[in-house]
This record gives sequence, structure tokens and C-alpha cells, in this order.
Amino acid sequence: MIEFANASYRYKGEPRLAVDGLSLRALPGRVLALLGPNGSGKSTALGMAAGWLKPCSGTVSREGRAAFLPQSERLAFSFTCCEYVTFGRAPHLPYLGVPGGRERELALRALDSVGMGAFAKKRITALSGGELQLVRLARALVQDSAWVILDEPTDMLDPAHVAAVGAVVRDMARAGKGVLVSTHDLYFALASADDAALIKAGRLLSHGPTAATLEPGRLSELYGVTFELRQVPAPVNG
Amino acid sequence: MRAAARPGRRLVLALLALAALAFGALLFGRYPQPGFMDPADLASDAMARNVVLLIRLPRVLAALLLGATLGAAGCAFQLIFANPLVDAGFLGVSQGASFGAALALVLGFGSLGLFGSAFAGAVLALALSVFLAARIRFGGAVLRLVLSGIAVSALFSAAVALIKYGADPRKELPEISYWMMGGLSGATWATLGMASAPALVAVAYLSLTRFRLAILSLDEATASTLGARPSLERGLALAAAALGVAAVSAMAGAVSWVGLIVPHAARLALGTDSSPTVPGSAILGAGFVVLADAVARGLFPGELPLGVVTAFLGTGAFVFLLLGRRVRVERG
Repeated sequence: MIEFANASYRYKGEPRLAVDGLSLRALPGRVLALLGPNGSGKSTALGMAAGWLKPCSGTVSREGRAAFLPQSERLAFSFTCCEYVTFGRAPHLPYLGVPGGRERELALRALDSVGMGAFAKKRITALSGGELQLVRLARALVQDSAWVILDEPTDMLDPAHVAAVGAVVRDMARAGKGVLVSTHDLYFALASADDAALIKAGRLLSHGPTAATLEPGRLSELYGVTFELRQVPAPVNG
Repeated sequence: MRAAARPGRRLVLALLALAALAFGALLFGRYPQPGFMDPADLASDAMARNVVLLIRLPRVLAALLLGATLGAAGCAFQLIFANPLVDAGFLGVSQGASFGAALALVLGFGSLGLFGSAFAGAVLALALSVFLAARIRFGGAVLRLVLSGIAVSALFSAAVALIKYGADPRKELPEISYWMMGGLSGATWATLGMASAPALVAVAYLSLTRFRLAILSLDEATASTLGARPSLERGLALAAAALGVAAVSAMAGAVSWVGLIVPHAARLALGTDSSPTVPGSAILGAGFVVLADAVARGLFPGELPLGVVTAFLGTGAFVFLLLGRRVRVERG
């Protein structure tokens, strides 16, 4: 379980709290989506869950290790997809360790499981945004952690890649991992998340099963614009 | 996996080629005639034996050490700063060494004093860069180091210019100018011995931590969740690389372009994966400097400054790589 208990976080020099007294639980084997306007504190909450941000008050506890994928990543070198995925094995290697055949085998298997097996020798910088996101998910998979924490994984992806990312996320939950994901994509949240938490100005507005939580009234309150139900086409394999 | 085994084999081949090149460099020079010496002369000609053992051998070993250190350190700096266009002289190390050497030359120090002063100048510049970076109140750790490195490099360049301005134009000024062009003509067993320990420790440490260096090229948050301690590991790698560069710069002066160009050549020859690139940069760097030094001392009747030869060869190679789209400066 990941538990936020009245957790707050303030960035140095900022007058207001980025996360303000958040209390929330994420459970293993389930996908919890965090939704909220830009700057509402979703990424800060994920940073505390991943452990690289420490709350200034309250606590955030986590059982088991976490793999974290930030929204975007600095990629200055053209590593092959295979080596990039083996980076996920770093927590399992000693300080001077170098990945060997076993790590590469695990990386290839992870690439296969996200449908990117054919890209193993391709340069990471030659991929499209959607392909890169799937390879990053393979890196998170190969970390073999109890938790996967994803910051806006469908940002700027086309519907087919959104569906592919959603399928990988569902597979992770089926395999018993807890997934904590921030997103602005209502379709992705509805298709992939068991539970949703709405965060506004660092505070929890609402939390519960996704379909019940993402109803127009609450979304209108969350984003400050009027929402209504409309039928839109959506891919079915997410 | 075949793709992974191939760079390993290429590394072994590169090592064998380096050994052959170094042996060839021992036989190359202007005695007994310009060009290659007949190996049989080593048995029959005492002078030839002395030239090879007392002059060329320490010099070739110094070239190997210099190139391996600049290559490995350049590759490490590029990974740590996530920037393929930085080199081993970053953080003011080269300018600090030049300042120390210039000071030693105007104060009339001997060759060991010159080495010590150049090394101290390089370490002082590194310490100042780190000290200043820790006091900048904005930006990430990498940006702060970049900015402080630029400031410290400029400061020591100005100090060198001031020393040159006040130096005796008949003796000290040319000495400072020649030293700053870089070269191994002053390399002796003594200076080689002093530079060896820090340089070899640097090359070994950077080669052993090559996988961690690749992870540091990702951003801070990602590296942290991959089990790295970015601040500590970056600090250790920078300290090792900069001390190695300080030691070889104190021995050979400012030899440019090796740390910048060699990692690109290593990525081209061995692939972009990190495992072969750091040791590959050390091997290719050693080969490049041995070759450049052989050209510097053996091609013309008078010796050319090594730094000038590496700059000509380096810029030529860099332009070739740029025009062939072999230098990849990626997004991020």
C-alpha cells in the first residue's frame, strides 16, 4: 500500500503549499489515477510517493520498491532501446555492476511484453513519442518493483498509443503491481484506472471508483469549466 | 546476445591495434634516419637502444596515459553533463593547469615544480568551480556546474594573460606559450611516475562505473528511482575525471580536442551503448595521442607542438563527423 497521511509539500521559496494535507491510499493490484488542473500538485504527490520528494509535514509510506517515469526525460545520447531498458535493472545490480546476458534477456522480454520487441536494437532517440513511452514502460516493468508511478504517460500520444499504454497499465495491475498515475486524459483514466482521485490546489477534492468519481459535476468543480456527458468514439482495446 | 558481444570483440581488437601502434611509435622517429627504425638495430646499435628506452619509451607511455585519461574523462564529462559537446577540460581544469604552469615558469621552478604547480592550479580551479556551483541559488546541479565552470575558466584565462603580459618576452613568454601548446617533449620517467597514479585511478574508476555514468545522463528524478544517488555519484565521477585530467595536463600542457572528439569516435566504432564507450574512449584516446605525438616529433626535422597536431587532426575529424552526420546532438 502507498499511504499519504495528511502529507504536505512546499517547494523552496514558494509561498503556498504544492500539496496541502493530502490523505489518500493506493492499493496493490489496482490503478489509481490522479486528475487535476495544471499545477494542482499531482506530480508533487507522485514525487513523494516515489520517494524523491520528502513531505514537509505528514507522512507518505510505501510498502515495496517503486519504478517512476517522469513526464519527460533528458535523452542526450542515442542508447539502443535494449540498453535503455536494462537501466531498469540498475537497482538490482551492485555499484560497479554492468548488465550481462540475464539483464539483456529480461530487457528483451519486457520489450516484447509491451509490443516493442522488434525495436531492441533501434536508437531510443529515433522513436516516435508513442513508441518511446512504450519503451519507457518496458524499463519500468524490468525494474520488477511492487509499484509503478507514471506522470502523465499519455501526454501528446495518439489514440492508438494511448490505448497501448492503457493495456500495459492494466497488465501491470493484473500482475499484482500497484499503479499510481497522473493524467489529464479522461478517456485514459476511465479505460485504465480502477480508482480516481481529484486534486485541486494541492488538496483532495474527491476519491473513489473511477466511473463514479469522473462525473460532470465534480469535473466542473475541479477544472472550473462546465462538463457534460457526450458520446465520443474511443478505441476498444485499451 | 550477438549485438552485445560485438562491441566486446571490437574492444579487444582496438586494444591489439593500440599495442601495435605503440610498438610502431617506439620505432618511429628521426634516428638513425627519418622514418621507422629496423628492430634489428636495437640489438646492434647502443645509441638506438638508448633512444628507444630512455627517450621514446617514456614518451610513448606518457602519450598512452595522456590519451587514455583525456578520452575516458571526456566521455565521462559528456555523460555526466548529458551533453556530447563538453570535453575533459570543463570546470576550468585546463585553464587552472595553464595558470599553475605559467606561474611556475615565471618563478623559475624546475620540471617537477612545474608539474606540481600545474597540478595544484588544476585542482584549485576544480575546487573553485564546485565551491561556486554550490552557492548559485538557481537551476539544477548540472547547470550550476556548467555556469561556474565557465566563470572559473574565464578567471584563470585572464590570470594567465596577466602573467604573460608581465613575463620576460625573451625567455618566459615563449616558454609559457610553448607549454600552453601542449607537448610531451618534457615527459620523463619522473613526471610520468607522478601523473600515473591519479590518471590510472581515474581511467579505472570511470571504466568500472560506466553503467552508472550512463544512468547519470538521465535526469535527476529518473536516476534516483533507478537506485542512483546522483549528487554523490556525480561528485565522485567528476572528482576522478578532473584529477586525472589535472595530472596529465600538468605533465603535457593543454592538449585540446582529445576529450571532445574521441568519445564520438568511440560511439561510432563501438555503438552508443555505455558499456564499451568509456573504455573504448580510453583506448581510442590513447591511440589518437600516440599517433599525434609520433607525427609531432617525427614528421618534420623540428618538433611540432602536440596540442597543435591534436587540434588539426581533431578539427578535421570533427568536421568529417559533422558533415557525415556522425555527431549526434540529441533532444533533451
